[in-house]
Amino acid sequence: MSEVSTPIKTSSFSVALIGNPNVGKTTIFNRLTGLRQKVGNYPGVTVDKRFGQVQINKESVTLIDLPGAYSIYPNSEDEIIVHRVLNGLDEENQPDFVLAVVDMSSMERGLFLVTQVMDLELPMAVILNMEDTAEEQGIVIKTHQLYKSLGIPIIQSNARSNKGIKSIEGLIGQKLFETPKPFLNTEGLLPASLADTICKEFNLKNSYQAFQLIRFQENETILRKYQKDFINEKVAAANFDIKEAQLKETNLRYEGIQEILAKCTEKNDVKTKILAHKLDRVFLHKIGGYFIFLGILLLIFQAIFAWSTLPMDLIDGFFASLSSGVSNILPAGVLTDLIVEGIIPGIGGVLIFIPQIALLFGFLAILEDTGYMSRVVFLMDRLMRPFGLNGKSMVPLISSVACAIPGIMAARNIGNWKDRITTIMVAPLMSCSARLPVYVILIGLAVPDQYVGPFNLQAVALLGMYLLGVIAVLLTSILLKLILKSKEKSYLMLEMPLYRLPRWKDVIITMYSKSKTFVVAAGKIILAISVILWVLASYGPPSKMEAAVSSIEVPEANASPEDMDSYNSDLSSAKLENSYIGIAGKFIEPAIRPLGYDWKIGIALITSFAAREVFVSTIATLYSVGGDAEDEMTIKEKLNQEIDPDTGEKVFNVATAFSLIVFYAFAMQCMSTLAVVYRETKGWKWPVIQTVYMTTLAYVSAWAVYQLLS
Amino acid sequence: MTADQIKKGDNAQIEVLVPSELTLHLMEMGFLPGKKIKMLQQAPLEGPMAFKLENSVIALRKSEAQLIRVLLDH
Repeated sequence: MSEVSTPIKTSSFSVALIGNPNVGKTTIFNRLTGLRQKVGNYPGVTVDKRFGQVQINKESVTLIDLPGAYSIYPNSEDEIIVHRVLNGLDEENQPDFVLAVVDMSSMERGLFLVTQVMDLELPMAVILNMEDTAEEQGIVIKTHQLYKSLGIPIIQSNARSNKGIKSIEGLIGQKLFETPKPFLNTEGLLPASLADTICKEFNLKNSYQAFQLIRFQENETILRKYQKDFINEKVAAANFDIKEAQLKETNLRYEGIQEILAKCTEKNDVKTKILAHKLDRVFLHKIGGYFIFLGILLLIFQAIFAWSTLPMDLIDGFFASLSSGVSNILPAGVLTDLIVEGIIPGIGGVLIFIPQIALLFGFLAILEDTGYMSRVVFLMDRLMRPFGLNGKSMVPLISSVACAIPGIMAARNIGNWKDRITTIMVAPLMSCSARLPVYVILIGLAVPDQYVGPFNLQAVALLGMYLLGVIAVLLTSILLKLILKSKEKSYLMLEMPLYRLPRWKDVIITMYSKSKTFVVAAGKIILAISVILWVLASYGPPSKMEAAVSSIEVPEANASPEDMDSYNSDLSSAKLENSYIGIAGKFIEPAIRPLGYDWKIGIALITSFAAREVFVSTIATLYSVGGDAEDEMTIKEKLNQEIDPDTGEKVFNVATAFSLIVFYAFAMQCMSTLAVVYRETKGWKWPVIQTVYMTTLAYVSAWAVYQLLS
Repeated sequence: MTADQIKKGDNAQIEVLVPSELTLHLMEMGFLPGKKIKMLQQAPLEGPMAFKLENSVIALRKSEAQLIRVLLDH
């Protein structure tokens, strides 16, 4: 699924920004493009393509923000993109110019990537960013000398304080990029005849590109098998050891860089006590560090719950009044029903998640931007290992307590495939906020409102549900650890950047673009399923439907409003009972009997697939509560009185209620989550496995609970 | 000795990288023979270690730190 398809190149030229992680590349991109950013896809990977169009000197320029990379040798999915785009393997996204960003206080590592790009002979320029940090550390760069050594234009900047942005714009506008001479004599790395053959076959420009292709063809999904066979054959014939050559290349490259830096940099001896190291003594403290982390988490959740309630209520209210408004304007009919009961609530169901997604990503952006996030990974990595997760899984899992959707989206930062899939698979088992209304009603039925000591039993039960989620996450992770096989070795090599104050503009841009991605990507699927569910719930076999409707006595013309209300609710409950969904509910009744459910609960289970909280409104319709469906007290009372006509016992006895609670804790009943998992894993394999697993887990656990309690 | 044995606060110089699949990756991050490193922090239960390398701080697990042979400064 492509959410925003890559635009046809209408602009006159494109510029790709590259650089190591944490060098301020994205800040420069944000400064240059502002909110004119779009998110698209690269073929075959989950990495988002961030690009933006700007007008410079009356020309339209497409700026592409490539993911951070330490070298063009890919070690993660992010780096594969950089490798592909720069090597011209992805023709559609091939940039005309390259703008490389280097952290002035880590020149050696930055130039490593820069010189690799030079060897590809692409027209480029270099931005030396983070002047301030370099200054603090007494580092002085002789820019002109460096320009002479490398042969590419160089600009100094400090993007955080907007310094140098105008010069960067000027450089882009006047296309002051230069194609450098290769930095390394790569011909010495690769036998000339082999390089020639590969270059001719794949239409490459130089031997360094051939070198790269030989090194990475194995994992390059956009090459065909016969192409890979061709390369392997030629490499074997030339008796060429690519790994050894690569090691040699890396050593030679560093030697060359160190030679240049010796000429071009001065280091004044400043006695600086680096603030970051002092702060790390607090934030990474063996005990205190964990308490700080816990405190920050509590603060974030408090804020998310408190701040998102109001906008969520407003969105809810807006779509409810939009529905009723539209139904008053449009003539009554099937189309109007579809719009009013299917499409508008469907759109509302998507948009209602925006406040939580935006807030959560806002907080995550702040944690990321300040440099604290990498400290969380540092603190949590060891604790997550036994479960087959890694330090980077922490953020997605915590986010999932609010909502699994942003949680799964946040799993993108995990480089290791196995760890990432595990995180995505277990995230929906964390107890999300949509389960809360269901829990509140069912716990109200099953657990007495009594105090044992200072503890309210219902509150303890609710806390227990959150713990149950965590336990399910950990056990499932262990299971996946045993099942999933991965060639990749799990490792952690993580740069911990300096602590900085967050840049609010960038935080807002993140909130905006993440929400937009969600609405566009998941929205389509959610909307489609809502409409289908609406059709199934509104229509049934005509003969059955008519019989059901006519069996209800129509009140007289002068009937009281109460009588009209009761007629209307009887009518809608009869309609639902005889709709396709109602029939499906009865059909699955034998299967859910052992769990203690009747066919009405069966209907609620089916409609809950759209979203868990739909349980409440479905149950309200089915048991003809009438009036305000959101009034939990009325629903609870009504459910408490419901008697099974066959046995004469309460339907919602303790065993059934607990069985349902457990079912809702584990079952995959959220199509938004499914849509996001589909998007993030680029296929139906994982969402299907996840649904089957979670539903089975839910069924078996609910059965066990019912059998134990009844 | 290898980098995982450096005590908190101690400095060392990288001697050589033990050949492995991660050798290149470590080099790309700047772990090169001759460079000075300092062990800043270690997470509890033998968790990741944070090393100062030039002007940056890089966290490695014990298993990755074992791939870096070092000479302790005195």
